[in-house]
Amino acid sequence: MNFLNPFFLIGASVLALPVLIHLVRRERSEVVPFSSLMFLLKIPKRMIRQQMLKNLLLMALRLLLIALLVGVFARPYLVQSATPNGPQIGQGRGFVMLLDNSYSMRYGQNFDKMKSEALSRINALSGGDRMAIVSFNDSATVLAPATNDKGKLRAAVDVLEPTSLGTRYFDAFSVADRLLSQFGGQQQNLIVISDFQRTGWNRSSRENVIGHDVKVETVSVGVADSTNVGIDNVSVDSTSFVRTYAGRIVARIHNYRRDKEVSVPVALLINDKEEARKTVVVPPSGTALAEFAGFDLALGFAKGKIKIMADDPLPLDNEFVFGIERREKLNVLILDAGRPKQSFHLKAALTAGEDLPFGVKVGNASAVTIEELGSQDIVIFNDVPRLSDAVRSRMIDARKSGQGQLVVLGKEADLGWWEAVNGFPAKPVRKVNVATERGKTVVYLTSYDKNHGIFKPFQGTTRLGLNTAQFFSYTELQPKPGAQVVANFDNGAPALVESPVEDRGMMVFASSLDTLWNDLPFKPSFVLFVHQTARYLARYNAVKAWYTMGEGIPIVGTLDGGVPRVVNPSGTQESVGEGELKSGEQRFFSPEAPGFYELRVGRDSRVLAINPPANEGNLEMMVPEDLIASVQSTEAEERNTGTFTTDDKLEYARRQMGWWYLLMIALIAGIVELYIANSRPQSVRRVG
Amino acid sequence: MSSHIIDRPRNRFIDPKVLIRIQNMELLARTVVEGFVTGLHQSPYLGFSVDFAEYRQYRPGDEIRRIDWNVYGRSDKLFVKLFEGETNTRVMILLDMSGSMNYGSSDVKKSDYAKMLASCLTYFAYHQRDAVGILTFDEGVRNHIPASRRTGQLHTLLHQIEHAVPAKGTEFKKPLHFAAEVLSRRGIIILISDFYDDPANILAGLKILKAKGNDIMAFHIMDDFELTFPFEDMAQFEDMETADKLHVIPEYLRTQYLNVIGNHIEALRKGMNAVQIDYTLMNTSRPLDAGLFSYLAARAHTV
Repeated sequence: MNFLNPFFLIGASVLALPVLIHLVRRERSEVVPFSSLMFLLKIPKRMIRQQMLKNLLLMALRLLLIALLVGVFARPYLVQSATPNGPQIGQGRGFVMLLDNSYSMRYGQNFDKMKSEALSRINALSGGDRMAIVSFNDSATVLAPATNDKGKLRAAVDVLEPTSLGTRYFDAFSVADRLLSQFGGQQQNLIVISDFQRTGWNRSSRENVIGHDVKVETVSVGVADSTNVGIDNVSVDSTSFVRTYAGRIVARIHNYRRDKEVSVPVALLINDKEEARKTVVVPPSGTALAEFAGFDLALGFAKGKIKIMADDPLPLDNEFVFGIERREKLNVLILDAGRPKQSFHLKAALTAGEDLPFGVKVGNASAVTIEELGSQDIVIFNDVPRLSDAVRSRMIDARKSGQGQLVVLGKEADLGWWEAVNGFPAKPVRKVNVATERGKTVVYLTSYDKNHGIFKPFQGTTRLGLNTAQFFSYTELQPKPGAQVVANFDNGAPALVESPVEDRGMMVFASSLDTLWNDLPFKPSFVLFVHQTARYLARYNAVKAWYTMGEGIPIVGTLDGGVPRVVNPSGTQESVGEGELKSGEQRFFSPEAPGFYELRVGRDSRVLAINPPANEGNLEMMVPEDLIASVQSTEAEERNTGTFTTDDKLEYARRQMGWWYLLMIALIAGIVELYIANSRPQSVRRVG
Repeated sequence: MSSHIIDRPRNRFIDPKVLIRIQNMELLARTVVEGFVTGLHQSPYLGFSVDFAEYRQYRPGDEIRRIDWNVYGRSDKLFVKLFEGETNTRVMILLDMSGSMNYGSSDVKKSDYAKMLASCLTYFAYHQRDAVGILTFDEGVRNHIPASRRTGQLHTLLHQIEHAVPAKGTEFKKPLHFAAEVLSRRGIIILISDFYDDPANILAGLKILKAKGNDIMAFHIMDDFELTFPFEDMAQFEDMETADKLHVIPEYLRTQYLNVIGNHIEALRKGMNAVQIDYTLMNTSRPLDAGLFSYLAARAHTV
């Protein structure tokens, strides 16, 4: 119960007045001469006792009356709705215990202390109490639903292990609020046992999720001055196309101690072999950088690791893993009709930088051999009239071996011949001159599948918009069944068509990639479009060097698709999600432990390096009360949220009806008081 | 001063609070009685005289001066004259001067009120040619002046009344028995007391006096606080006769006290009425007229 006008409760001090007056008068008892005591002595003691009882009763009634009136003015209300069939107040309490098992709890004995505190609170439960246990890190998990079985609760705590995940309090409080609501009219209690790491609380996400009537107990097991030293970031280029690593690996070492600097040896390990070692001096509450470069890499994926030799209570952040892939450049063959500068823009886009993973070769389509075609990762048929039948027959085989093929149908293309290509995804109908046939000057490429692997980078940018390019002519396509149209002109005509799922690897562009039919090569988006298309066709995905625990790692369906699987650091293989991941589809994988994971999707395979969240190494604590104040609403806030439904308002009004009941009781007490005060013994009569 | 003069017919006498300022009992008595008599107008009780009533044959022992020598001269027989004056009664005032009579919630104590009443009745009776005496008592007989009409009796009585001081406890048995012994002739006995004794004891003594042919008037003097018990504050009540103390919460006891004292008064009233004793309860906050009227009524009955 609480009060809307609690300051009226000051009026309850009036209750002390009768008692004080009584005591003062008793102290001042005077001697009064009286003619004779013979009549006073004749009064039966029983009658005096009755009178005393009567007066005591009257005083109690009057005090009750005052207290009730004070209560009426203070406007009491119930803080919890009493559900008719639910548990009522007095039938025990409801507890939700939040246990922090984030990575930072591995510091020293923090986790053991947390478990010990949790068990002591379970043991302190009384018979009618119920408790639910929730563990939290960057998400919250219900370990034990509400129960009064202490054995189950203890077992839930016993099996709890620290994770390598970060801390996010808000989710834990949200789950706690949901569980607390199950306790209905019971007194609701929330116990939070944590190291109260400041980095776990995002102040911008402040929201009142805990009701103001919930009694909150915070148990801090953290340490005020941590002596942790850890690696909080490593900057690394994840791909190298040369043997000797050309970039730099920069590790940032963080000293969380406030009292003194530390000297830390830092080692670089590639495939568990130490390549270099340095010692850095890190100032108090500061960072230092350790750079490594000039080591050799074998072809393929290499497991890299930065390791510091620091003796601190939190060893998990003393290692930082990452991946580096050394690979050859993608072989791209551009075949054209031999027209001057026909492939100039295309080649220029693919060779715009030395770091680009493309090895480009341009040739005349009429001279290409089967062997030459088969050795390429990507073949771009840039407005080619036709190929030899032998080459045409081998195109499908090349695709099956992983080759990506882009057919550009421009001015030179023999539409009938290309239609006959095995697995061609669309039927080229005719060549359309926009100005003469459509009654307008140009068409634009305005519509494309933003979730497709090619067009993902175009999301969220206006500078690289494809829709600024003007198309004067295009080839009208009729997609075949199963084929996917991934881009359209603004008149609805398909601009880019992908072959069906069962025969992926070929894409058809319905205009030229030179300036003959459009001005696309003059647009900034052209280079990105060509790169993305080439990468997509080559199943090339630039892999991040490392990910952080709790981060959703995107898995994109490759051309040949397949069920995505991961092999975790312990060697166990498991699937990611359910079913096959189709081309272009995306699915997210959340690792549960740091280390190297091997991700397999169909024939594609890559290694992921997973590190624990670096900010967990910062054990700076926040004041638990501040945290609770951030998530627990006040009564006024609940009133002013304005989110009450009609039922809520009725319930709220009902809970405020306490003053009415108090007034009724006061009225009854007043009537009883009047009756008792005016009742006299039957034998009383007036004298004189 | 005039504000204390009560104009209503039933209260047309001077307020006791004013009378108490008159130190001289004779003056006080004259003030009250003359005012009272003046207001009566042609009272039937004013016909006393020494007129001839009858002759009676001389018997040895009669005073020789009362022989009517004219009748002896005519009839040669001795007769004595009898006058009406010889039918006047004897009035004995029994005045309670026990410690409890010293109580007074205002300026007028019960003893003051009782002395004023006794003075007035003495004065009244004396001037009606009654022989008047007084007996003051507490636990026993304190002082006794036999009834007489001799010169100076009035002053003696009023002096005695004026200088009587309340003390000790109340005991009716001894004083009433003493009165029964010394009062050889019947007359009017006026008992002025607060009657702080068992009604049975009081009535037992009065019955003896009554049996001897006396007309008895009992004036029960009570203070207004004794009758209403208006005390509020918790206090220790001290008995003025015994000095005993009692812790009293008035609001607890008021109802029961009024019950008990009401029963006491009722017992006295009924007991006295049963033996033809005039009982008058007098509140010290009220004028004295009730006492005087009661006396006149009793005097008429006796005459």
